[in-house]
Amino acid sequence: MKLVAVTACPTGIAHTYMAAAQLEKTAKKLGHTIKVETQGAMGIENELSQADVDAADAVIFATDIAVEQEDRFSKARKIQVPVQAALKDPEAIFAQLK
Amino acid sequence: MALEQEFVCPLPSGIHARPASALEEVVRHFTSEVTLLNRRTQRSANVKSILAIVGTDVRLDDACVFTVNGPGEREDMAALSVFLRDKFPRCDSPLTATKTETAAPLSPCLRDAGATIYRGQPVVPGIGRGRVVPFGKFSIPPALPRDGVADVEKEWRRLDASLEKLNAAYDHRLVTTKGIEAELVKVHQSIARDVDFQNNLRAAVTERQRTAAGAIEEAEAHFSKLLAASGNEMLRERALDIQDVCLQLLREIYGDAAKTAEVKLTADAVVVAESLTPGQFLALDRKFLKGLVLASAGGTSHTVILARSFNIPTLAGMHELAAIQFGDQEIVVDADAGALVANLTDAARRYYVLEERRITGRRTRLKKLSARDAATEDGLRIEIAANISTAGEAVGAFAAGAEGVGLFRTEMLFLDRDTPPDEAEQFESYSAVLAAANGRPVVIRTFDVGGDKPLAYLNLPKEENPFLGRRAVRIYPEFETLFRTQIRALVRASAGGKLSVMIPMIATVDEARWVKTIVADEQKKCAAEKINFDPAMSVGAMVEVPAAALAVEALSRELDFFSIGSNDLLQYFMAADRMDTQLAALSNPLQPAFLRLLKLIADAARAQKKEISLCGEMGGQVRFLPLLVGIGLNKISAASPAIAGLKTELSRLNPAACEKLLETAINCATSSEVNALLEQFFEQASVPLVETELVVIDSDATSKEEVIKQGVDRLFVMGRTDNSATVEDAVWKREATYSTGFGHGFAIPHCQTNAVRFNSLVLLKLKTPVAWNSLDGQPVRVVILLAIRAAHGGSNAHMQVLAKLARKIMDEDFRAEIERESEPARVCAVLQGIFNRS
Repeated sequence: MKLVAVTACPTGIAHTYMAAAQLEKTAKKLGHTIKVETQGAMGIENELSQADVDAADAVIFATDIAVEQEDRFSKARKIQVPVQAALKDPEAIFAQLK
Repeated sequence: MALEQEFVCPLPSGIHARPASALEEVVRHFTSEVTLLNRRTQRSANVKSILAIVGTDVRLDDACVFTVNGPGEREDMAALSVFLRDKFPRCDSPLTATKTETAAPLSPCLRDAGATIYRGQPVVPGIGRGRVVPFGKFSIPPALPRDGVADVEKEWRRLDASLEKLNAAYDHRLVTTKGIEAELVKVHQSIARDVDFQNNLRAAVTERQRTAAGAIEEAEAHFSKLLAASGNEMLRERALDIQDVCLQLLREIYGDAAKTAEVKLTADAVVVAESLTPGQFLALDRKFLKGLVLASAGGTSHTVILARSFNIPTLAGMHELAAIQFGDQEIVVDADAGALVANLTDAARRYYVLEERRITGRRTRLKKLSARDAATEDGLRIEIAANISTAGEAVGAFAAGAEGVGLFRTEMLFLDRDTPPDEAEQFESYSAVLAAANGRPVVIRTFDVGGDKPLAYLNLPKEENPFLGRRAVRIYPEFETLFRTQIRALVRASAGGKLSVMIPMIATVDEARWVKTIVADEQKKCAAEKINFDPAMSVGAMVEVPAAALAVEALSRELDFFSIGSNDLLQYFMAADRMDTQLAALSNPLQPAFLRLLKLIADAARAQKKEISLCGEMGGQVRFLPLLVGIGLNKISAASPAIAGLKTELSRLNPAACEKLLETAINCATSSEVNALLEQFFEQASVPLVETELVVIDSDATSKEEVIKQGVDRLFVMGRTDNSATVEDAVWKREATYSTGFGHGFAIPHCQTNAVRFNSLVLLKLKTPVAWNSLDGQPVRVVILLAIRAAHGGSNAHMQVLAKLARKIMDEDFRAEIERESEPARVCAVLQGIFNRS
């Protein structure tokens, strides 16, 4: 599958990036492609364009705070999980996509 | 016919003990009677009694009236009027009250340790531990009879004679004590001599047949009540001084019979008292006195001031104290956290073991740092020297790492006395500093008096605008003898070390030439008298008058060095009184024009090959250091406590980068632009996120609370924060959203707070894994603590590094590598490895 994701945690120092790494690693292992946007203390990085979102089969929100520029995802199929879920059992998130 | 004068109190702290004694001193010898009526309180007083004056509770802007009545009233009123107009408004300086800060959050380590914790107001910082020694309230032994005196005249004579003896004892103590203790003796003596105090005692004996003990008890109650009724905290605290005098008087009369239950310390003790008089404090064996807990005293009580001068950790304002039954136990006075800790548990004891480690860790590191030579990153030497005001401070300054004395203000020798210090006294003082310097350079500034620092014996007229008036070098010709005496003392002292003489307030070449003539003259006399001196003693000037700043080239032909007095230079240059907080924006040394002026001075001095230094407050602030290095100073002189910090910061600075920074700063339009520029400079400063000393590979922490405390304590030890409690609190607030234990035996607690000076990472490997409420339920073996400054705009090199670390930490191989390494330096290298890889 072709996926996109957004990660965001309260302080934006650690978990945002830890979750991003975990999602990328797991997607690769399961044979998916994924682009992960981080919304952390440095602001938005690896930003998802509307084209990225439109081309994706689904979007994963691993977030504990409100997602910025959420209107980009209004038409997409969404899966919402806490940041911790991406750290603890990322494969379970991908299992939801089936 | 009585004379009256209306009067409005101009003193911000009102008429407390000090202004009252100044008033009393003026009217003491009047033949007339003088009364003061405070219209607001409707209380009136005999102005020959300090106690009565303070009892009227005159505060700022209170309308009062002075009445002078009796023989000589006309002359007396004239003298009083002049005093009230000229001297009275300036007769008070604020007592340094202790800052009363709101209680900081307690470390969860202590909070949850199971001990009993009472919060109090920390008035002398530090931590002390000892057995509780309760100290009773002021009391007169009940066994002493109070009433029923048959021969009232005889009883009064006995009391009066004891007052005389007490006064003589005070006189004697004045000879043997100095500093705060001597001041205290003066206060006590003024009470014992007070007319109202004595009248009160006499009336009790002669009119009510009370015994001396009864009379003293009555007087104590009367005046304590009077002072307690005043709205002024400072006055209320003088009640302790009255009690002290009463106790001393009792002892004069009754000897040992007057002794209340004596408190003798025989082992480490914490004295817990409703109130403690200064005399009672001084009687305690300070070898064993580890802490003080007071129910009522505040920051300006003499007892607290004494405790501060002896470094006894003290908590005050513990009003619930009377209700607490401590029994015989060991307690801790934690005046750093503002807590009294009783019923100590093992956890609480452990907490204080960690505290001890934290405090000594920092002290040891600072000592090491302060011992280094002051130099920039690339080895450019810039002398970091100390500013001192008394010879006694020199030893401490050198212990704090000073490489010289950059400014010894000699005014202290001249102020607050009736006659100027003679040559011998000055010689001794200057020689003491040179001895402490042990060959290091010492700059002694000739007396800067006049202006805001008037001297009684100079009899200078009051000026409309004292800062622009007759002060420092401007009055030397008028008081030539006084100046010559100082120069002669300095010339003689120059034989004992590397001495330079600095002249304050130089504005013209003429002034410099005059001073040089006097110096040459005194040197010639010494040579003729075969007195040893250093003919190479240099003579320089403070650059604090803008005219001098623009005359450095011409002045260089007369003088050997220059030192920028940034405080006065700034206020003269900006035409803004630096004491006026409303003008703070103008009194900001970051004004681009001021920085440009500093550069101009330094460039001119350098062109003439003269040493250029700075000795104002600006030099003591680490924040300004990059600018000062950019200006190209040879020396910076600051208060001793700032020295270690300045040396550390200096070692991180690159002169070329500083020069560039200054160039940009002087071309800024506003001080806020310069401020932003500095912020940016520090953000980009290459202070690494982690250093070897921030890696602990054998932490003995036994709980999550202890791990976090130990991590934050490392930041404190390494000087990355001055406020451990705030950082700890921020980490715990983040931890409250969800645990940072993400599994695999790792946790990554973190916070954003400006209580850290630099973005920092601490890594702790635990000897025993601790529970962290981790995602996988497993205990934690490795903890990576991040403390990041909150104020940084979007892109920041450190943030990118941290993002990289956060991603990397999810990598099994990386975690294994961290777990494998057992040398702090190696672990640090592994961490820096990820940072450097792009």
